Amino acid sequence: MMDTSIVEVINVTREVAWLPWAVQYFFLIGLSVGGVLLSLPGYAFAHEDWRKLGRIALLVALTCGLAAPVALLSDLHQPGRFWHFYVVLRPTSWMWWGSIIIPFYVTGLLVYAWTCFREEFQEQGRVDSHLAVLYRMAALGGGRDDRLIRSAGIAVLAGAALVALYTGTEVAVVKARPLWHTPFLPLQFLATALAGATGLVLVLNRLAADGDRDVERVANRLLAGALGAVMLFGGLWLALGLFDLERTHADALASVAGSEAWRVTAVWAVAATAVPFVIAVAKPVGTGLLTGLIAVHSAWMFRWTIFIGGQTVPKTGAGFYEYALPAGPDGLLGIVGTAGLWLFLLLAITAVLPTPRRAEPGPFHPIAAE
Amino acid sequence: MDQSRRNFCLGFGAATVGAATLSPAPAEAVAAREGGDPAHRWGMVVDVRKCVGCQACTVACIMENDVPENSFRTIVSTYEVTEQGRSGTYMLPRLCNHCEDPPCIPVCPTGATFQREDGIVVVDNTVCVGCAYCVQACPYDARFINHETQTADKCTFCVHRVEAGLLPACVETCVGGARIFGDLKDPDSTVSKLVRERDPRVLKPEQGTQPRVFYIGLDPKFQGKVDGTPTLWRPSAQPHADAYVGKEHA
Repeated sequence: MMDTSIVEVINVTREVAWLPWAVQYFFLIGLSVGGVLLSLPGYAFAHEDWRKLGRIALLVALTCGLAAPVALLSDLHQPGRFWHFYVVLRPTSWMWWGSIIIPFYVTGLLVYAWTCFREEFQEQGRVDSHLAVLYRMAALGGGRDDRLIRSAGIAVLAGAALVALYTGTEVAVVKARPLWHTPFLPLQFLATALAGATGLVLVLNRLAADGDRDVERVANRLLAGALGAVMLFGGLWLALGLFDLERTHADALASVAGSEAWRVTAVWAVAATAVPFVIAVAKPVGTGLLTGLIAVHSAWMFRWTIFIGGQTVPKTGAGFYEYALPAGPDGLLGIVGTAGLWLFLLLAITAVLPTPRRAEPGPFHPIAAE
Repeated sequence: MDQSRRNFCLGFGAATVGAATLSPAPAEAVAAREGGDPAHRWGMVVDVRKCVGCQACTVACIMENDVPENSFRTIVSTYEVTEQGRSGTYMLPRLCNHCEDPPCIPVCPTGATFQREDGIVVVDNTVCVGCAYCVQACPYDARFINHETQTADKCTFCVHRVEAGLLPACVETCVGGARIFGDLKDPDSTVSKLVRERDPRVLKPEQGTQPRVFYIGLDPKFQGKVDGTPTLWRPSAQPHADAYVGKEHA
């Protein structure tokens, strides 16, 4: 090999064009999809054992699903022109498909959540309060209807599947970025989304519900499963790249392997997956807040690394671009703002629909009427 | 030195539909093209051996196209190369390749970016939503978000000048005659002859984009992502310029 050294003296640094808003969008929409999937057994398939976990999962799906499109809109540099998506047919663009899928999913999610919460609206409507009339209006004169819940559940499941498909594929088709252009990426997005959603269920179980131990145990087991899938896909990704078994994965690995920062990130990612996995398996009760927080962090970090990290790999220039998180709307403010919106939605929804006290069976214990 | 300019005018006037020496684009891509004169296929040949790295093209482009500060539609990437104890400088002018199969176009969710019948890839910045999907899809880092228009921006081969029978500003100003512009459909144009006779290379051929910017004297080490020490210079507005330079020297 010839002894050649190249120093890039002048070149352009291309700034990231998909901003932290995009990270927030992919994070929140992924968690929302995961929340929907976790809510289905308890609601759409009416397994009472899963009902309590399902309710927290529904909160995850709803809060994240409503905040996500706001983050996505903010990632457009011309957000006021969003309607331009809807006056053309652009089937070659996965982003265009996304603009069709998102409203379908969010509408389905709202309808599904309403069918699931309808019995709670009905119960709240029976309480002697000035707001009772509003709850009765929200219940539309009915209560729990398992067939309706199931129909809405299947519709939102279709929407969730389409969201998972489009979000993963939209990024994976970008051939110009080897780190993104792997068939595994959509699967990795889905697995980390499931882990993040389960993590958020564990966190909300403690902070926004009654900290049920059965829910914690089940959610920690589910989390271990999701993290296991994350590690499986991650391991296969690495093996395919490391042993040059598949071209796109080898290119993806090669695009970042030379960087010390990327190696540290990889170790961090493995630790943020393996540690909660071990804890969740070894001690599934009493650790939910910890495993949950790490899992949420892990899901977010994965997206941050893919999107922001991925854009610091120059396509033609040498080395890597530097990235410093701006404090304003293009950076920290976007992240904090989205998190604030999510928190507001959580507070608003849990204020309107407080966690039912199911742990203590009483004379008003709600059972399906028919 | 003026050969390229003279030839351009001849080529433009003749409007000859010559036998294409290049492989045709996929039928659907051609069908989607709009505007421009199908009698021409504009392209550029860059003779890197003649480039002196003066950045006159970079400046001319900025002045002609009102490119915002810290953004570039074209730039001459400059490298210091040391080989077997000898050092030299390597210059590589970069711009949009106006590919025959441009990956930036199918990803556009609004149709704001499109290819004209004459091969020039443009952005309608009254339609663009600034989603930056095209910025991601371009394998050449040729696109960016213009923060004055908040839309995607790129080299247009100075389409407004070409339509007026003028050369792109970078070609007009090139002191070394390194940039040659012309009609690839005209078999007698200088670019057609150079492509035919000199067997020039393109950047990242493995991407399958079929660039219509060709390079004579392109070293394979610079054909894709350059394996070297990253840039020492960056725009002053970048907040971490000093820290970064310091790190590079450390």
